[in-house]
Amino acid sequence: MSTITFKGTRDGLVVTLGENSWTDTISELATQLQRPNAQSFFRGARVLLETGSRALDGLQLEELSALFAQYNMTLAAVAGEGSPPILLDAMRQAPPPPESIPLELAHATPPNPPLPTAPVLLVQRTVRSGQRVDFAGAVIVIGDVNPGAVVAASEDVIVWGKLRGVVHAGAPSNDEAMVGALILAPTQLRIGRYIARAADDKRPRNLPAEVARVREGRIVVEPWSGA
Amino acid sequence: MASQVITITSGKGGVGKTTATANLGIALAQRGRRVVCLDADIGLRNLDVVMGLENRIVYDLVDVIEQRAHLRQALIQDKRLPELFLLPAAQTREKTAINETQMRALCAQLKTEFDFILVDSPAGIEHGFKNALAPADQVLVVVTPEVSSVRDADRIIGLVEATEKPAPQLILNRMQPTLIKRGEMLDIADVLEILAIELIGIVPEDETIITSANRGQPAVLLDHSAAGAAFIRIARRLLGEQVPFGALEEPSLLARLANFFRR
Repeated sequence: MSTITFKGTRDGLVVTLGENSWTDTISELATQLQRPNAQSFFRGARVLLETGSRALDGLQLEELSALFAQYNMTLAAVAGEGSPPILLDAMRQAPPPPESIPLELAHATPPNPPLPTAPVLLVQRTVRSGQRVDFAGAVIVIGDVNPGAVVAASEDVIVWGKLRGVVHAGAPSNDEAMVGALILAPTQLRIGRYIARAADDKRPRNLPAEVARVREGRIVVEPWSGA
Repeated sequence: MASQVITITSGKGGVGKTTATANLGIALAQRGRRVVCLDADIGLRNLDVVMGLENRIVYDLVDVIEQRAHLRQALIQDKRLPELFLLPAAQTREKTAINETQMRALCAQLKTEFDFILVDSPAGIEHGFKNALAPADQVLVVVTPEVSSVRDADRIIGLVEATEKPAPQLILNRMQPTLIKRGEMLDIADVLEILAIELIGIVPEDETIITSANRGQPAVLLDHSAAGAAFIRIARRLLGEQVPFGALEEPSLLARLANFFRR
């Protein structure tokens, strides 16, 4: 059974290693990468490696990095439980591109005492039409969510910009989640099991930042102050 | 200046990719650059028609890639400008006749002889688009001020951003000042607000575009075409000149500020 999962995201390919032994993991990964239809899909990808509870040493990282390099993939970041993400891009001292480090995988597991905080995905760019961000945890977008884009998260979704696409917070059934945006003008908004769509008439521009949550069985939008 | 592959694309069809390619090709060649316009729309070629060179086609892009013809045999010299060439698409084949590696190799070969390789991308986001995008050093996205065009352009920009290529630049085509004034069309600020990429030029709606395309005489060649003048300004910007945006081209202060803060 496959224990390694691949997930394409806006900012790179998230590869999650399973709990198998190191040798099994490496050979499974090599097999997966070799599949003919996988090669074109993976080629050139930035890899964001999630190691789970596993701790990798330098040699193992080198081995992975070399394996990915065979398929023109770059190991860009490593994140594990209980450790902050390491951005290998930065360590290689490549000249920073204009919008460097578009993504950080921040597993918010503070040293002690552990707080009941969900993992947070920080998306530092505009999510454009046709792009989709899925995440088990909360999502913060620094940028816009354009019409035609979808952001789905199991917890809250915060957009530091204009939200005009579709957002599902608390997917699939967490009705306690909320959605906040500097400009909240979604095509459709889903929170947990509830769905709301934009009013058909145009809303005035220049509204203050707003937040949407479920109150008494329906999605309610209110100004983002003292919420 | 190093030789450049510029891909002209849009997602949506009918917004002016081919017109832009032909006009920019001519404008650059008029300024003494060696230019080749490459039609990547295999199976639906029409760059040759717009440039008025259809009756000179003997070999095409696919013939070159499948080595039935040398590159030199397939290149068609423009009848007006000796510095301008066309590499036509095959009309009887499909997009899958070539792949990204072949496109990169072909453009690398063209780069040794030309200053600019303008690639006219097919509509859509599939194989043909990917072929056209693969060799690009720079991408120009053509958009018209319509919701569907903007949506498709946004999709395309996202796909370009997912590669290592520099951020694409925007050509806003077919602007109609009267409709904008009446508030019945998306204005420049609306489009820039959503797409948030650098604007390289605004081309007004102009009926000479249609009549000139039908005669195989792109508008840049006419003296009194507003659209032709706009394409010339874009060509000069591609050459690195600082060309001020004209009255119609003037993005609103708000749009420019929005653009500024995004850098």
